[in-house]
Amino acid sequence: MDIHYQPLEGRSPGYRLLLAVLLSLVAAGFFATFQMIEHGIHLSGMTNRVPWGLQIVMAIFYIGLSAGSLVVSGLYGIFGKLEYKPFARIAAFMAMLFLVAGLLSIVTDQGRIDRVFVEPFAHLNPTSMFSINPALYIGHIMICIFYLWALFKEKGNLTKFSSVLVVLWALCVHTGTGAIFAFVPRELYNTALLPPSFVAAALSSGAALMILVLVSLFRITGRVLDRVLVIWLGRLLAVFIIVAMYVILIENVHRLYLIESREATGALLFHGYSAWLFWGGLIGLGSVVPALLLFRRRTGTSVRWIVFASVLVVAGVVCERYLIVLPGLEHPPDLFPGYEIVASPLDEGIVTYSLSFLEALQALGVLSLIGFIFVLGLKYLPLLPTEARAHGESQMLRELIASVDREPVEGEVVSRR
Amino acid sequence: MKRREFLRKGGWFLVGTGCGRGLLMVAAASAAGADTRWGMVIDLTRCPADCRACVQACRQENNVALHGDTRHDIHWIRKVTIRKKHQPDGREVSLPVLCNHCDHPPCAQVCPVKATTQRPDGIVIVDHHRCIGCRYCLIACPYNARFFNYRENEDWPNPEYPKRSHGVAESCHLCAHRLDQGLQPACVDACRQAGAGALVVGNLNDPESEISRLIAGNPVQRIRPDLGTEPKVHYIGL
Repeated sequence: MDIHYQPLEGRSPGYRLLLAVLLSLVAAGFFATFQMIEHGIHLSGMTNRVPWGLQIVMAIFYIGLSAGSLVVSGLYGIFGKLEYKPFARIAAFMAMLFLVAGLLSIVTDQGRIDRVFVEPFAHLNPTSMFSINPALYIGHIMICIFYLWALFKEKGNLTKFSSVLVVLWALCVHTGTGAIFAFVPRELYNTALLPPSFVAAALSSGAALMILVLVSLFRITGRVLDRVLVIWLGRLLAVFIIVAMYVILIENVHRLYLIESREATGALLFHGYSAWLFWGGLIGLGSVVPALLLFRRRTGTSVRWIVFASVLVVAGVVCERYLIVLPGLEHPPDLFPGYEIVASPLDEGIVTYSLSFLEALQALGVLSLIGFIFVLGLKYLPLLPTEARAHGESQMLRELIASVDREPVEGEVVSRR
Repeated sequence: MKRREFLRKGGWFLVGTGCGRGLLMVAAASAAGADTRWGMVIDLTRCPADCRACVQACRQENNVALHGDTRHDIHWIRKVTIRKKHQPDGREVSLPVLCNHCDHPPCAQVCPVKATTQRPDGIVIVDHHRCIGCRYCLIACPYNARFFNYRENEDWPNPEYPKRSHGVAESCHLCAHRLDQGLQPACVDACRQAGAGALVVGNLNDPESEISRLIAGNPVQRIRPDLGTEPKVHYIGL
């Protein structure tokens, strides 16, 4: 089967407007970052008690997203599913960009950005997860570029080799990212289940975003996307959601059961905003509802519902990432077990993190920068296939669609020029 | 210069710098004294609840920033008042809390660029010219003893000691600059001058030192020793 790739023409006013909007947001992000370099990061919402904020949340969110993209890309490279070959390039490109976004978020979050490009090379500390991870991220970006090159040149064996390598490497990247939190002596952080739950949520959010990007790209540019492929990706997403939910539930039951972390976990799960984020955002709207939608025959075969479920999953994982970083900091370390702190010049109790405008602008700038590169890539790189169709082996799904749809199988293609 | 000559000269240069560096390291190690291991004892029975002499002396000596904003104020040493839980009219204890200079410091373990390190004499110290400001040490410290310069520090009461730029982490270094000159830390001197004499800093490895005798002769407690970090600040009467 020959796949033809046809980049965007990129001459429409809409395309140019999009680029202009993204570029101005990037400029705003630069402005915010320069303000912080000049005056200090008290301009963010971070404090001595909550030293990490939105940028770290976004960093681990982006890094997670890249995993799911790679799995979609690996469907062809590793499992040899030819039908998913049309998505392989764009998925690999996105995986690379998300890693760049993750690194950028971390770099712009540092107090001394000027030293970030010098000190880690001069005095790397191998026991710090914060120095192991950038090495993993940069390696990952390199492997993604190599993988993309193999895909562009249609090198069969190299593609296979590099897609296996990139997925294995991604596993290390995500375990490492989870370990940034898990390997620190804080009640809500140090659980060995954090890296696996990080990987699981990474897969579900990445697959969901892939569905969103594919459906909207094919629809906007008027290309043919077989509905069966979207349905199959939706099923994959449903499985990822279940796995993520399982690990997250076990993680929380475990730390709720242990007396030493019971108080902190109870506060996370049943008090304040974090309870809403956990039960409403992550579990309810972010996992249970989309899983039901995807498993139900009627909604699980409708592209519109699958897209809706994907939006919910991505939003749910943003909640999950927030819950990883912030409640663990907002809850104080127990300095004096059995005692309460009556007075101190430092805020020793439960504190809350409040986002600042400049910090949000910074995060938006990072997102816009990779959005800008992505949109340019669609024009200058052979990423977008002219069509993506399923083959005969998807007969079962086709019959399923036929049995559900009131109308004939006519609507099997998402978009047609 | 011919190639051969260049190689010969280059070789001598490398050997020379290598030996020099080695000698410097040996000298540094012997100067630090392998048998010194600094620690602190705080006798709370002699520490008045309303006294802040140590806190003020520390600020004066080390230019520790006070911005008037509890979110960003820096406290190398702070007075914390605690009370037993579920005993509303129970005894209140006010104690100075500072960096514990742990034998296994999590802050140094997680620092990505070795800006936070432990000296051979046990003092945990930050190189403010190397810190990249990632704030991972603030997160790893179980004692809330690490602080970050969110703002520029305007005050500079002690011009002999540098102040820090915004964007780097810092914490108590047990006045290493004074200990190296044979002086006592600023907080210890201030406590003695205030007439309390509750703070004692000394060599834990020397069984004859005042600190070792205090630890041997009194029931002492440390903050969260269960974490395995081996904190070196000991409290009497906690």
